[in-house]
Amino acid sequence: MMDDIHAYLAEFEDIPGTRVYTAARARVGYHLNQFAMSLMKPENRARWKADEAAYLDEWPMSDDQKAAVLARDYNRMLDLGGNIYFLSKIFSTDGLSFAEAVSTMTDMSFPEYRAMMMRGGRSPEGQRSIKGGF
Amino acid sequence: MARITAGVGSSHVPLLGVAVDQGKTRDDYFAPIFAGYDWTRQWEADAKPDVVVLIYNDHASAFDMKIIPTFAIGCGDRYKPADEGWGPRPVPDVEGHADLAWHIAQSLILDDFDMTIINEMDVDHGLTVPLSMMFGTPAAWPVKVVPLAVNVVTYPVPSGNRCWALGEAIARAVASFPEDLNVQIWGTGGMSHQLQGARAGLLNRAWDNAFVDMLIGDSQAARWIPHIEYLRETGSEGIEMVMWLIMRGALGPRTRLLHRHYHIPCSNTAIGHIVLEPA
Repeated sequence: MMDDIHAYLAEFEDIPGTRVYTAARARVGYHLNQFAMSLMKPENRARWKADEAAYLDEWPMSDDQKAAVLARDYNRMLDLGGNIYFLSKIFSTDGLSFAEAVSTMTDMSFPEYRAMMMRGGRSPEGQRSIKGGF
Repeated sequence: MARITAGVGSSHVPLLGVAVDQGKTRDDYFAPIFAGYDWTRQWEADAKPDVVVLIYNDHASAFDMKIIPTFAIGCGDRYKPADEGWGPRPVPDVEGHADLAWHIAQSLILDDFDMTIINEMDVDHGLTVPLSMMFGTPAAWPVKVVPLAVNVVTYPVPSGNRCWALGEAIARAVASFPEDLNVQIWGTGGMSHQLQGARAGLLNRAWDNAFVDMLIGDSQAARWIPHIEYLRETGSEGIEMVMWLIMRGALGPRTRLLHRHYHIPCSNTAIGHIVLEPA
């Protein structure tokens, strides 16, 4: 039994380069994620591709969220409540693979990211805790 | 009576489905992964399970943010492969076992697990990729499937202990089903991977393998791993490994290892799988 929900949630903010998809983020990002989900349907993808800005205006999203989507700024979308499984509908519609889209959130180019994965991926050393530095 | 004869833990990376569907399973990139499953495919062909209780998570395919069930069990007769944005996978429909599924659902609710019941849904790569890895490319899947979807996306996701206990309850439910059925339970997802942010690409070979070690024998240590440890050590999506604990819990007090395999990388992810039987 988790006895302190506040301590449980606070620890999530101590992980470098990571936004855990908490209820707080899910609430902020609700319409952003539902917009992305709508791109599962071919007819919606066609309307989206014809006029992205007009399609976004059908959703009660913040201006910041809309700008982040138009710029394909995935880190910003995560900051504004996006979840990667929903956001994947956007980059799939753009024809990007998961690995290529993920690489745009790092400080690497896609070939550099791919090379890192072939070498065994990113080491967890020093990447586990902001406060602890381990 | 029905009985759980074996458990499988396995990654369900969507790129593996692409490799199968495009006939690339023996190219340089994918060969070491699929070679690791050769033993398991032969073992499944010999074991001939009647039903698989398949623990997986939906990746924004059947479920959106409108409704988020923590534990949901598929009680339908048939499930189609989901269109995940690039058309459905060209794999057979998944045949359910509605009698067993409803029996498990009722038993779990009476056993204090408040299940969500699903009669109709499409199933995404989380469910169909493990079927492809275990059975290859048959015209029809050789087993019936009871899908059990777990929320591992929106926090809080269920604790490891709760997952393990659900597995124990599934074993009790299966054991009280009167038909003579050979039932396997598969826990899917993982292993270490992070698909978001500046830390994307994190993999942790040492932790993943220590986790697999904990599922063999009589250790119950894995049920007490807190969420924060999965997040720190295995990346934000490594939390899917709590679904392996449902499988482990269903195998009873002690397990025997039949096969294990681990490979890095597949796309953004560390691939692992394990075959266990109750001991």
